Amino acid sequence: MGDYKTETGAQLFARLEARRCLIDIEPHLFPKNCGPQYGEVVELHGLEGTGKTELLYHLLCRCILPVEAGGMGVEVVFVDTDYSLDMLRLVTILENRLAAGRSSSSPQAESDAGCSEEAALRTCLSRLLVVHCGSSSQLLLTLHYLETSLSSRPGLSLLLIDSISAFYWLDRCGGGESAARQEDKLTKCSELLSRLLRDYRITVFATSHAIRRNYRNIATSSSSSSSSPSCSEYEQPYLCRPWQRLVTHRLLCSRGTPGTNMATACTEEQSRRQAFNVRCVSFSSSSSSSKVTKAHKSSSFYVTDGGVVFV
Amino acid sequence: MMKSINNGCSERRHVPWAGRKHCPRFACCQHYHSQIPLLFTVEDLVASDSEELAQKCSLSYKALLAIRRVLLAQHTAFPVSGADLYEELLSSTAIVSTSIPSLDKLLDSGLYTGEITELSGGPGTGKSQVCFAAAVHTAHRLKQSVIYIDTTGGLSASRLLQMLQVQTDHVEEQMEALQRIRVFRVFDIFSLLGCLHTIRCGGPQQASLGAGSVKAVIVDSVSAIISPTLGGKQNEGMSLMMQVAGALKTIAKDFNVAVLVTNHVTRGAGGELQAGLGLTWSHVPRTRLLLERSRGPGPLLGSTRTATLVKSSRQPCHIKAQFDLNWGSGSEEGLPGRKRARDSSDS
Repeated sequence: MGDYKTETGAQLFARLEARRCLIDIEPHLFPKNCGPQYGEVVELHGLEGTGKTELLYHLLCRCILPVEAGGMGVEVVFVDTDYSLDMLRLVTILENRLAAGRSSSSPQAESDAGCSEEAALRTCLSRLLVVHCGSSSQLLLTLHYLETSLSSRPGLSLLLIDSISAFYWLDRCGGGESAARQEDKLTKCSELLSRLLRDYRITVFATSHAIRRNYRNIATSSSSSSSSPSCSEYEQPYLCRPWQRLVTHRLLCSRGTPGTNMATACTEEQSRRQAFNVRCVSFSSSSSSSKVTKAHKSSSFYVTDGGVVFV
Repeated sequence: MMKSINNGCSERRHVPWAGRKHCPRFACCQHYHSQIPLLFTVEDLVASDSEELAQKCSLSYKALLAIRRVLLAQHTAFPVSGADLYEELLSSTAIVSTSIPSLDKLLDSGLYTGEITELSGGPGTGKSQVCFAAAVHTAHRLKQSVIYIDTTGGLSASRLLQMLQVQTDHVEEQMEALQRIRVFRVFDIFSLLGCLHTIRCGGPQQASLGAGSVKAVIVDSVSAIISPTLGGKQNEGMSLMMQVAGALKTIAKDFNVAVLVTNHVTRGAGGELQAGLGLTWSHVPRTRLLLERSRGPGPLLGSTRTATLVKSSRQPCHIKAQFDLNWGSGSEEGLPGRKRARDSSDS
């Protein structure tokens, strides 16, 4: 970018000063010592109703909560391409976490807690920037625009994209016959992102919906026709190669088997706890096209009013 | 110059002056590198190296940066602070009741503005009836306008009136409420997109001529016009479907209305019921209810339906509730059986 030639001292510091590393964002989720490093991309992939959004809120809360409440106190940009951000839900989770943090640290007078609670919530929310994008061109231009935000705000260390696959079908159709043109927009986004990741050392979390069935897999495993669609059918990445190359961690979300859960559930309170499974696959971040799997980790969680709780 | 860049945006494929010596519209292209057009679109300009471009086009670097800044300001989504968004949400969010208590409980007190709620179910499971009830309730009790997009011809004004007559005896009030329900009849996906576009551009306030602002947009049924476009290995159908989804989401968010759509059901591999329109659509609604006929003893249970919460971010999923379709039409007034028979034939 030509902008570097004119960057001010403040911008230079913002760019070069060490941003908060998110490697310890959620030890339950990532394999040991394999959390998301500077400049890495985590993709959350799964069918509808597999807890992707909840997981994203969990990670988001962890980032924007102050250190005292068990957070990291960093700034986050939420790029909402699905119009899916449920602010009320997010606030509920934040309030629960803040309350939990307060009760554990310093039991104060009730009257004092009342007003500080609201203020603490506002402070958390002010660390969040939300962008709504309605098309892939807008997404691309917005990413260009975000570069100025990144260079002026050193606290900004996480970019959330929910979801990166939102414009998949629109682009497929808009690109006509040529496959390259169909993937043109996302390719450009990925290239730009890879530059931003390198220059500003941010971390990216993106969700991708499982919207394509992998027919090849079905053909080979059709003999074992299970009653429920097997997860591997949907796990195949389908977004363009440049994006695939960026991804260093894939979190594959799936719904837990309800059967085992129901057996232990006695009360209604417990039976509402639908278990979700996440399998994390970390790739060694190499520039070569063939990826080497570095580590695996499986974990499961359930969702409460106060957000995700890991088992 | 700004204008020509904007125009170029839509003409990526056919640029008549590409590679010509003298570009009539865009001065940048004709200087040194006349064979290779440098820029077509806003995206190209924003992504290009301003310094290099300044040299090639003998434009001032400052001017190019200014152009770039203006273009970005015009075409990007503006970042909003989470605190401001929350503030705005607190003042604008409303919950529109469906007027059926058990359904409201399932939905955590009703249809939330700003999001899409879906009712899916087979024929005769009461999808349209719930839509009618929600429309009547919004128009009569909340005194807010409703946009009702009818894609199957299933909207019956007499049924709406019947529901209203149970609520009030005053003819003026009934008429006022009916005035607030604005009906659009569309029977193909392009008309639907056009209709949604009109609503969005004119704003729901103008689209609906009645008093009060629009609080609910109901599409009954969304699957009836999307499903014919799907199928085969065609991308167009999927693209059209996502355009509808995008339009509905923007309407819900930008105008703070509750969007209620209905969908059909299919059977999964294991024979279980699932909402129609496939995997891609499954991500679109925020909340989904699956409606089924109750299987119970006795002939009087003909109008009882079971609703299951299949998708929600507020309530635990797979909780069930029963409701009676004659709720709101006053089953005590008699002859539920006869009424039911007629209703099921048009839903």
